[in-house]
Amino acid sequence: MSKVVEITDQTFEEEVLKSELPTEVDFWAPWCGPCIMVSPIYDKLSEEYENFKFCKINVDENPETATKYQVMSIPMQMFFADGEKIDELLGAVPEQMIRSKVQEVIQRFPTDEKGRLKVILSSWVEHNKQDSEKLRKWIQKAQELKNDTIYNSLLKAKSEMEKANEKVSQLLREL
Amino acid sequence: MTAAIYSARADLSPLVFEGPGPGGQLTVSHEVENYPGLEQPLSGMELMDRFRKQAERFGTRFDLGVVEHVSKGNDIFKVHAGNKIVETRALIIATGAEARHLPIPSEKKFYGKGVSGCATCDGFFYKDKKVIVVGGGNAAMQDAVFLTRFASKVTVVHRREYLRADPIEVQKAKRNSKIEWMIPWIVEEILGNDLVTGARLKNTESGKTFQLECEGIFVAIGHEPKTEVFKDVVETDEKGFILVRPGCTRTSTDGVFACGDVCDREYKQAVVAAGQGCMAAMEVERYLGIKE
Repeated sequence: MSKVVEITDQTFEEEVLKSELPTEVDFWAPWCGPCIMVSPIYDKLSEEYENFKFCKINVDENPETATKYQVMSIPMQMFFADGEKIDELLGAVPEQMIRSKVQEVIQRFPTDEKGRLKVILSSWVEHNKQDSEKLRKWIQKAQELKNDTIYNSLLKAKSEMEKANEKVSQLLREL
Repeated sequence: MTAAIYSARADLSPLVFEGPGPGGQLTVSHEVENYPGLEQPLSGMELMDRFRKQAERFGTRFDLGVVEHVSKGNDIFKVHAGNKIVETRALIIATGAEARHLPIPSEKKFYGKGVSGCATCDGFFYKDKKVIVVGGGNAAMQDAVFLTRFASKVTVVHRREYLRADPIEVQKAKRNSKIEWMIPWIVEEILGNDLVTGARLKNTESGKTFQLECEGIFVAIGHEPKTEVFKDVVETDEKGFILVRPGCTRTSTDGVFACGDVCDREYKQAVVAAGQGCMAAMEVERYLGIKE
């Protein structure tokens, strides 16, 4: 039995953005021939993969989500994880291509607890790095104006952030 | 599909590899009016679905795999599809043709972001928007008429004065007040940032260029036979069409048969392909009978 979940504009957030599992959404419509012809592929894959969720949304009845994600052509498959769109596949693509995309996403977004923690912490460290890059010019200014209370606090905060980053990186190495 | 129906009925236990676009070109056709037996028009998808169910009823097996390679042994062909290898004594190639692309890099860049090859699928996304249809054949005329249901304006861009489409299709399009014509013009460049905002057109006679605002570009400039993976097994002509012997579906290799748009330079019609599919199945039956 197919485990593809039929979703709507109303349930999209709950089923996809808040999903614990990485999720594929098939944007389709009853008048789209290629969509109908490839849908058995998704039915089949949905029975095979435990740690992955397959959804489908009828764009005719649910135009909001399609508009939000700028879907202009179907069949369109979008991949979501941790509340964000991470990838897409356009058109009636062969089973093998969908399969390798699903496997790639599963690897990037593991569902076991440690694997998951690792992914989230790595992304945290990465973001931290990018953010401190953006902060650089303010930090330089703060070093010149140490007497200003705000800038002084900024310097302290930065040092705390660096410590936190180091601790998280340490944890990552242990995981 | 017809080859499957006939060969299944003849107990040849056919296996159909459905390949990258199951159902083929017909699935993107909005309305089929000229297939015999259809008193009322039917969507290509529904027609295809009927073929499929009919083939299934007689025991045809379907596989969603894509054939990547075919090798020939002694009277046996090995068909490679993904991690599967299937051995067969007879092979019918009915892979049809796939949509041709515009020879400009911006087409690929904007595919799915305003450029489409399927008006039936994507017309819906262009409500009250301006769109272009590129092409001068039946598909282009039908797409243009279909798109007027959604779009505020449809401009047909075609490179030659002469329209290849049947007069009945041209008339339907000419009568439609939402359709405008840019003939003989070509799309030289597709414009936009993330999404299509227009196209730069070029007049093929004067060389004059013109920028046309639009949000959608539907490409219907014909098809090319899908024969790449069979080139080691059968002979094709310079355009990739499989060469068959006159009056039958036999190819340059014994045991390999071809039918439909994959070998049809002339007609490219569902009913012709179906007829040839029937021929292929009957020729396979005879071929296997003689072998035994």
